[in-house]
Amino acid sequence: MSQSSTHRFDPATVQPAQKKLKILVLGGTGFIGPHQVKYAVDRGHTVTLFNRGKTNADLFPKLEKVLGDRTLPTAYDSLTGRKWDIVIDNGAQVPSWVREAGAALRNSASKYVFVSTLSTYVNRRAIGIKEDGEQHKPAAPDATQQNAQYGPLKVRCEMEARAAWGDRALILRPGLIVGPGDLTDRFSYWPVRIERGGEVLSPGTPDDPVAFVDVRDLTEFSVRACENSLSGDYNCVGPKSTLTIAEMLYGIKAVTTSDARFTWVNADFIAEKRLRPYTDLPVWMPPRGDNAGWARMDCSKAINAGLTFRALADTARATLDYYHAQPPERQATLKAGLSPEKEVETLAAWHASGRA
Amino acid sequence: MSVNRRTFLKSSAIVGGAFGLGTFPSFAHASVAHLNADGVDERALVPQPSPQKKLSILILGGTGFIGPNQVRYAVDRGHDVTLFNRGKTNPGLFPKVKKLVGDRNLPDGHNVLKGKKYDVVIDNPTTLPQWVKGAGEALKGNAGHYIFVSTISVFSSYLSPLDENGPLHEPGGMDTPPDQARVGANYGRLKVRSEMEAKVQFGDNVTIVRPGLIVGPGDLTDRFSYWPIRIEKGGEIMAPGKPTDPTQYVDARDLSEFIVRLAETKTLGTFNATGPKSPTNMAEMLYGIKAVTTSDAHFTWVDADFLQSNQVREWSDMPVWVPPRGDNAFMLQMNVSKAVAAGLTYRPLAVTAKDTLEWYHTRPAEEQAKLAAGIAPYKEKTVLAAWNARKPAGGP
Repeated sequence: MSQSSTHRFDPATVQPAQKKLKILVLGGTGFIGPHQVKYAVDRGHTVTLFNRGKTNADLFPKLEKVLGDRTLPTAYDSLTGRKWDIVIDNGAQVPSWVREAGAALRNSASKYVFVSTLSTYVNRRAIGIKEDGEQHKPAAPDATQQNAQYGPLKVRCEMEARAAWGDRALILRPGLIVGPGDLTDRFSYWPVRIERGGEVLSPGTPDDPVAFVDVRDLTEFSVRACENSLSGDYNCVGPKSTLTIAEMLYGIKAVTTSDARFTWVNADFIAEKRLRPYTDLPVWMPPRGDNAGWARMDCSKAINAGLTFRALADTARATLDYYHAQPPERQATLKAGLSPEKEVETLAAWHASGRA
Repeated sequence: MSVNRRTFLKSSAIVGGAFGLGTFPSFAHASVAHLNADGVDERALVPQPSPQKKLSILILGGTGFIGPNQVRYAVDRGHDVTLFNRGKTNPGLFPKVKKLVGDRNLPDGHNVLKGKKYDVVIDNPTTLPQWVKGAGEALKGNAGHYIFVSTISVFSSYLSPLDENGPLHEPGGMDTPPDQARVGANYGRLKVRSEMEAKVQFGDNVTIVRPGLIVGPGDLTDRFSYWPIRIEKGGEIMAPGKPTDPTQYVDARDLSEFIVRLAETKTLGTFNATGPKSPTNMAEMLYGIKAVTTSDAHFTWVDADFLQSNQVREWSDMPVWVPPRGDNAFMLQMNVSKAVAAGLTYRPLAVTAKDTLEWYHTRPAEEQAKLAAGIAPYKEKTVLAAWNARKPAGGP
């Protein structure tokens, strides 16, 4: 695998780790997995992938791959008798998966890394919520996506992880994960939209704070956390210091040669038009009520433990490069953000409202 | 005044090193095919086919800020380049390029050009009309095309978004001595006279390019560079005026490449040459610069009157900014559509900012410590404290 960066804003040159680890990655072929695996391999670790062999099966041809289906009782039979230093569980949303992986693997590895979410917190009303913030009431141990919400499911998953691994569990709670490979388009909408140019509907006030984490920053931290034998819970979102949505949008514009210009439409008008923060207007959450501290989580614990953040220009450029490499039909259907028609219609209504 | 050779070569090497583009692992399918060696997204640029005809190009100056960019680009495109200058600034640059020596302040300073023939002459450093006259007389009949690098300072006021026909200063005197070239409004006036003299000497075969603020790696005036350097340093940053105050600038490389292409197409006439292509403002510029750093910079916008009453000067203390009012209301909103139509293209701001920072970090420590523009750190702190103290608590 190549070590070189995709563009000049990505300064990353990967240094080898001092101690080489044997890492078992559950999943590893979705959004965050491939970045994590690539970084782990670049650091000199030995990585085994465990999954169904159905998603991106041709990825990482040189790595050992073990097939298993976590929905089946026999899921982990193929791993019996093997030993690893670390098990990383990227994608589990179902408590039984975490419980069963724990039962099968807790004597085969010394550490378990579980990628959880900031959605485990019951709200984000306060500014600077730390890892001991109040979490949702956990979903039932046998709950699934069919009968429980994402946040409560992940709370239960965390509990299962601690039950199986005790203080050998490392729980990462990322916020919005963005960058190349993202299939949700929740950040990508903005670089793509800004690159297209013209009048861009910009939500809220220019000073509203935003928070997100580049998938590469998150995954690189997860690998270094393994090397450093971290355990416990970590909020993982960036950037390190406050970033406003104007800084984000104008920063994205800076990697393009677009003629984009920004019209700021206030949160009340957006609510009246029934546009959804975060979904129709990605990344943005009006900083009020239960979400007053949405973009101001306290991540100092992770930062002190080695979480670093790329420059926004790097994230934006890499996201655009990724987007342009997708098939035309994928490029044509973004999964988040306003449709061009809706944006034009809303901007016209805003200008006509006399509130602009 | 000059970048020494070692510094320049070092910076060139570093910029060159950043060209190391590679491939992303297959899962991302990311392509860099559309990024050129400067990291520029070429899809955003007007296609620039290789020139059909190789030109002989005489570059007057060529070793300062914009000149080296022209030389590199022209040589890369296969042209036959000759430099004419005093041999004092960066004499070690371009060892393979032909060089002629002369001092344009001397009466016979252009004599070495006599009898030589060029398709194109690009005149970069001229601030005195006598220099144009000297070059014109020495090259009489032997230059097919004369490109004069003028300035938007030729305009006497900026009361609307000016195109090339805006009001000009009264021309300066033909015999203004060199030590008066930059006194008061002389710079603009002498450039007006130089533009006129260009037509006297070279007739119809003249192109006049009027850049705005030229920025990027190699700039010794630090007028744009102040911002990337300051923002990278982080903390509370004094930002001038309003976030929506307009601004304009042009990357030296975009300008230089445009000039060489004007030569290739023998495009005559006068062009405002600043950027970017579409309007931008101070917030877009400063936040765009922040995006190439991992700085914790945050911006406090201090209004124009407050800055003035605290002796913070527009343009020099707060570079790339003038309050959009009075005679300068549209100084940073020049109409550049004619140049764009003629092929002026723009790198993304992020490329300019990143390259400026990389270049800055290659400069000798004493140069890094003393910027030629921008407010001093202690003064910034003092004025910010005064500004913050006068605002009501929790105010905007």
